[in-house]
Amino acid sequence: MKGKGENIENFLYGNLHKVTTPGRYLGVEVNSFHKPFYSSHVRWALIYPDLYELGMSHLGLAVLYEIINEREDSMADRAYLPWTDMQDLMRDKGIPLFGLETRRPLREFDLVGITLQHELNYANVLRVFALSGIPLRSEERGAEDPLVVGGGPGAFNPEPLADAFDLLVLGDGEEAVGDITEVVREWKKSPSRDRKGLLRELCRLPGIYVPSFYRPHYREDGTLAEVEPLEGAPLPVRKRVLVDLNSYPYPRRPLVPLVESVHDRASLEIFRGCTRGCRFCQAGYIYRPVRERDEEILLRMAREMIDSTGFEEISLTSLNSPDYTRIDSLAGRLADEMEPLKVTVSLPSLRTDTFSVKLAGKLRRVRRAGLTFAPEAASESLRRSINKGVDEEDLYRALHAAYSEGWRKVKLYFMIGLPGEREEDVEEIGMMLRRILKGKGSREPLVGMHFTVSISTFVPKPHTPFQWVSQLSLPEVARRHFILRETLRMKGVTFRWHDREMSYVEGLLARGDRRLFPAVVRAARRGCLDNWTEQFSFSRWEESVREEGLDMAWYVERERDRDEVLPWDHLDCGVGKDFLWSEFEKALRGEITPDCRFDACAGCGACQGEVRLRLAADGV
Amino acid sequence: MPRMESKDQTSRLLVKFSKEGDASFLSHRETMRALERALRRSGLPLCFSEGFNPRPKVSFSPALPLGVKALAEYLEVKVAGPADVELARERMNQALPRGLEVREIRLMPMHIPKLSRWARYGLYRVERGEFGEGEVIHLVLSLAGEEQGRLREALEILGFGEIGSYGFSVTRVGIYPSLYEAVEDAGGRALYYDGKARVLRELEGDEL
Ligand code: SF4
Repeated sequence: MKGKGENIENFLYGNLHKVTTPGRYLGVEVNSFHKPFYSSHVRWALIYPDLYELGMSHLGLAVLYEIINEREDSMADRAYLPWTDMQDLMRDKGIPLFGLETRRPLREFDLVGITLQHELNYANVLRVFALSGIPLRSEERGAEDPLVVGGGPGAFNPEPLADAFDLLVLGDGEEAVGDITEVVREWKKSPSRDRKGLLRELCRLPGIYVPSFYRPHYREDGTLAEVEPLEGAPLPVRKRVLVDLNSYPYPRRPLVPLVESVHDRASLEIFRGCTRGCRFCQAGYIYRPVRERDEEILLRMAREMIDSTGFEEISLTSLNSPDYTRIDSLAGRLADEMEPLKVTVSLPSLRTDTFSVKLAGKLRRVRRAGLTFAPEAASESLRRSINKGVDEEDLYRALHAAYSEGWRKVKLYFMIGLPGEREEDVEEIGMMLRRILKGKGSREPLVGMHFTVSISTFVPKPHTPFQWVSQLSLPEVARRHFILRETLRMKGVTFRWHDREMSYVEGLLARGDRRLFPAVVRAARRGCLDNWTEQFSFSRWEESVREEGLDMAWYVERERDRDEVLPWDHLDCGVGKDFLWSEFEKALRGEITPDCRFDACAGCGACQGEVRLRLAADGV
Repeated sequence: MPRMESKDQTSRLLVKFSKEGDASFLSHRETMRALERALRRSGLPLCFSEGFNPRPKVSFSPALPLGVKALAEYLEVKVAGPADVELARERMNQALPRGLEVREIRLMPMHIPKLSRWARYGLYRVERGEFGEGEVIHLVLSLAGEEQGRLREALEILGFGEIGSYGFSVTRVGIYPSLYEAVEDAGGRALYYDGKARVLRELEGDEL
């Protein structure tokens, strides 16, 4: 076994000069732990199934990396998906995917944790298996193989990949990784090392889903009849919720990327969850309830992170940062404290209102990139149906505030294909832009302001009120793009749109079931790495799904009945199916559900027992 | 604590660092970022540029080709007041990735020209053998632009392959204001590659 580590080291020193950006493969980042690879430790490898530059920007893995390494009984290394030039070299020389710090094959770890951030990453996940030589299916793995653990938002419907995972963590990972570590630590001491027994124990931990203990039964029409739990596994699997974020103030000493990364800065998570209730947004449901960190704790975390990294920027992250109860105070104090250090404070997400614009102005940031607003839909009725509580007046006001603060570049996000969308609603996007540019009533026209209108295709996601609806067919997306191209042809406006075929594959995997697994395997073997645009191929996906006797449109375009058993019904994110259905009906009626952070509880079900909405101003 | 008295209270520090092992695979840009972040943690009273993204006022010695190690690279940084250079050196070394190390920080007297003015020649040590156990060749190159291409050309003439491949290793030993000093550091004799004429010739200290 020893020789293998040396092999990898020799391979690196003999080949790093041949690849682009060798800094991705060194593992010597400032704040890396480099804990020894003792067998008495529970050894985790944390994987982000995409390039280093993306993986290093991911907050969730940074948190878990520190928590696991700070424990005495465990260690964590990490790996990302090497770029294709490195993949080719590794394959040529027979070098398996390895942990960057230990330079040990992933196969030698006890646990390999893979985060599922996006459906278009699923083929990349399978590439991780191919490169590491870990047997692909859970059932094919033996006592010497690592346990493969999934996590991230994808864990709320991992079914298209479920056969590849031994277990998945639903919800917050901070406490779950500790629980898993303890069970595995004891199991490693047991003489029998019975893998099934271990899984049986793990599935009793809160938030742990062991796919092999759930057997789906299908009806003749292809829909699910039921998902049957085996081995006494719980039904449903409830997600894990960290009751109080203050108890886990991580990261404290984040890794400093060696190579310039997508988010090359300190990220301060000011709260988790969002209850705005946008009906298309999965994150808005699966991360409930809102839990804010206290201001003092955040300030301390910020200091510690800047002290330990030398980052020149700190970003206040969350699903909707201006919503933080004490945002004005926090942003002001942080900006003051960081000023002498010449560290800039930035705000990644902006609401469509003047408050947000003023706040961003105060932080003197974002200017380079321009401002971004997401009205999502141009017609009032459609915005009501998705529960986006902004009207056109709000947008005008926000734009004028931005204009007078000196911003001249604005990005506007819209979606097409929302349930109930008519042709007029699509045309309305162009009309809205025209109204903005011309000025309306007493309002000045925004002379010299440039708009980038970015259009994505709505993809229905599990655990949202729109989980039952149909996604637009490809020809229909093309037709609506055509309308947009015509109506958005005006000075001062640039039109951009997402690749419709990618959104289609995203839709397929988002609401897929276990029967898709062999198709994903085929697509991955054919070389699909969807996130890396040049390696995306719709025809390969089509072929792969067809060869498995399945129909893409059945998954993507079919409207589901209220009573249909959905492939993710046995996974409980806290928000009840009945609540989601009532939200769906309210969407059809154009009724708004207010945010429980500012209004009454809507009864979504996420708050139970100790788990509840926590605001920083509470003084708890 | 060394002090520097001048009208505007600003002074220049010269930071000498080495780049070996894993760090030799970091690009010039990546090296600069790592050093800048370490400087931010050094406790030195740095001077910053104006604007939305203030950066410390730093200049670096000329880029080093990827895969080449270095024993004495430099950066010059402007500071706004008195500085504890020894403490700064220690702090920087705790804040750098493995392979990058600050060797010395020195106050620059006013009469010494800027780094970009005197960093003119690089002395490279080319060693045969994977672990540097073989023959040593001293090679001097002008650093005035294109040094990456020049080093490659010179190595080609010497019959070596790509930088980083098996069988030899390259280290930049130092940076000098004149040929004479470079050759002297090489022990009085070195090869000089004239990039314009594309000729490699032997130089002896006495000639210069
Ligand atoms: S249960 Fe009520 S308070 Fe809690 S997240 Fe749901 S709507 Fe909000």
